[in-house]
Amino acid sequence: MSGSRLHWKRGRQEEGAGVSPRTLEWVGYNNAGEPIARVVRVQGPLSLGWRSFRAMARDETASVVELRPGCPPDGAGWLACVGPRVVGRAGQPLQAVRAVEATLDDE
Amino acid sequence: MSGTPLDKIRNIGITAHIDAGKTTTTERILYYTGVSHKIGEVHDGNTTTDYMDQERERGITITSAAVTCEWQGTRINIIDTPGHIDFNIEVNRSLRVLDGAIFIIEGVAGVQPQSETNWRLADRYNVPRIIFINKLDRTGGNFFRAFDTLKEKLDIVALPLQLPIGEEEKFRGVVDLVEMKAIIWEGGELGAKYHDEPIPAELAEQAAEYRQTLLDTAVSVDEKAMEEYFEKGDVSVATLKACIKKGTISGEFRPVLCGTAFKNKGVQPLLDAVVDYLPSPIDVPGIAVALDEGVDETLHPDRRRIPANPKAPFAGLAFKIINDKYGTLTFVRVYAGTLKSGDTVMNTTKGHRERIGRMFQMHADKRAEIKEVEAGDIAAFVGLKDTGTGDTLASSDDPVVLERMAFPVPVIDISVEPRTKEAVEKMTLGLQKLAGEDPSLRLRTDQETGQTILSGMGELHLEIIIDRLRREYGVDCNIGAPQVAYRETISKAHTETYTHKKQTGGSGQYAEVKINFEPMERNGGVVFENKVVGGSIPKEYIPAVEKGIRVQADTGVLAGFPTVDFKYTLLDGKYHDVDSSALAFEIAAKACFRDGMKKASPIILEPIMDVEVTTPQDHVGDVVGDLNRRRGQIQNQESSGSTIIVRALVPLKEMFGYISHLRSMTKGRASFTMQFHHYDPVPRNIADEIMAKSA
Repeated sequence: MSGSRLHWKRGRQEEGAGVSPRTLEWVGYNNAGEPIARVVRVQGPLSLGWRSFRAMARDETASVVELRPGCPPDGAGWLACVGPRVVGRAGQPLQAVRAVEATLDDE
Repeated sequence: MSGTPLDKIRNIGITAHIDAGKTTTTERILYYTGVSHKIGEVHDGNTTTDYMDQERERGITITSAAVTCEWQGTRINIIDTPGHIDFNIEVNRSLRVLDGAIFIIEGVAGVQPQSETNWRLADRYNVPRIIFINKLDRTGGNFFRAFDTLKEKLDIVALPLQLPIGEEEKFRGVVDLVEMKAIIWEGGELGAKYHDEPIPAELAEQAAEYRQTLLDTAVSVDEKAMEEYFEKGDVSVATLKACIKKGTISGEFRPVLCGTAFKNKGVQPLLDAVVDYLPSPIDVPGIAVALDEGVDETLHPDRRRIPANPKAPFAGLAFKIINDKYGTLTFVRVYAGTLKSGDTVMNTTKGHRERIGRMFQMHADKRAEIKEVEAGDIAAFVGLKDTGTGDTLASSDDPVVLERMAFPVPVIDISVEPRTKEAVEKMTLGLQKLAGEDPSLRLRTDQETGQTILSGMGELHLEIIIDRLRREYGVDCNIGAPQVAYRETISKAHTETYTHKKQTGGSGQYAEVKINFEPMERNGGVVFENKVVGGSIPKEYIPAVEKGIRVQADTGVLAGFPTVDFKYTLLDGKYHDVDSSALAFEIAAKACFRDGMKKASPIILEPIMDVEVTTPQDHVGDVVGDLNRRRGQIQNQESSGSTIIVRALVPLKEMFGYISHLRSMTKGRASFTMQFHHYDPVPRNIADEIMAKSA
């Protein structure tokens, strides 16, 4: 990712998932070492009875989520967050990273 | 065969729709790896893997053939499988024992019906695959359109590792997105000469875009690789290849390569991909041990697996039987342990011992004797007395039974009889051997007419069997017209009591049975339960009751078709100290079946086929109308360029001779494929017709 303006590091990791827990988020730091963006794994879908729900983030760290029926339009499992805003979704974490950096470039 | 490290072995299959180029690709692989010194062609009838006379004459693959070659220091065992749906059993059993597969799709038509069927089969066995979009030199060949059908029809994450350079007759090479270079074939020397060069300027932007997608998708499967990517802004080729391999094995995405095997372009990078991305026996979780029949496997996700280890007790699966002039060859995939000729193993499926005679490494119809096999190998054994397809061979130190194989249900029957009385024995022997080789072929005797009935997967399947009977066993047969393999079942439960009594002087016969018959779900088979308590029927007579029902179930009460999908429970009975015998109980059970089934609302079932007709737009109305007249239920219609694909569920009975009707209706411009979908009850009026015919 030449020209990347952020330094990405692993954030939270899955707990109790065995020897190599999956990373749940990647955090993007600016040159001053401040975390200004993150990409967050959306867990799920959640099945309740006969319906299936997907989580949609309602805040910057995706700690508050809203359950919505079905898949999001892009069917993606990663949220791209810049500061308090969710700026996109992607199927792969690297695509979400790219969405974050494209947003920062546009600003 | 021993000596090759396990990580340097690839056991792979080549599978696809009929005519997608499996055998053609295999021929190039054998040529470029130095196994053969000329390229055989399907249309010339001189390919290595299509060695049977019927295969060479018809230009199709009928039986899967195993060949071995070496590429980049890795031994590749390849199984070339048939594409025609009638020979689906070959694909099924091959996929069962392979660690990976090359899935070929045609560059013109994209994913076709049989591709979908084989893809789902590979899904069932979790076989990692790479996709090869072939025939890009053909008029209408289009990588991107074919690529789109992968996502549409197979619903997968398809990941291009290459892009084509040039289209149709101007196709001359590929862009390698992993190493970001162009590979150009120079023509001449049958495609053996090719060179690398920079990516053509006009493709640079497109290549960069696809490379980005490749990186995003592949690197995301490995967090360490992601860190490398964030740190350096790129990853090494070795890291990228490791990520592609990891994602291929886990099935998170399916790598896509392209070329034209017939024009000798694209095959060498495909071989590189086999070595780089498909798993060795130690890269995949070991084969699962079988659960007891009827146990739901989803409830046992952590069941025992046998990892590939040459030092562990022996475990192997017999997946194919061939009879030739030298005797019976049993193909075995070795999962664990080492075995030498002369050793003895357990057939744990059937519970007896087998002594291994000679062992061979097969190269299509040629064989090389070997003295030892070990984990990861595929070899053929001679001298096994009673081992069938799907049986496990294992060491008595750890007598495991490996996951069983599922076989398709035959849907077409024909009657066969030898032209001369003298040939009866030869025909029976020949058919028994052919049925032993092919689990999708069933053999039975019609109890009323005494005729031998062969049941198979389609008209072509049975035609080939009759031809093999003539050529290999020297028996000329008269065959009846193909008949639908109807089945009978019941639709309500009923309990019947029957007393068999002949006690008029001399030694008598006495047996009484009380049996409950109840319907089961489709494909439930025939299930027996013994609930006799207190010795009202002595234990030694119970097997006779079971045998009586099973024998009688072959001839249903409505029209004489085999009765399936029911459970019978032996509830009670009576016996006589002197006059009861196994025979008396067998007779009683048969009569109880005949009487009981009639009162359990019997019905006739017919095979329903999944039919896909590809027709030009201007004939859609005719095709749909005709399918409706054939009792078809139209499932959907999709357009693909200027053609329409109509999908329908149609009773097999209505599909005999369909091809000639379709051709005349569409002036030869439409084609169709069909495969078995399920059994359904026949409508009342048709059932009456069937019963009247059998009366």
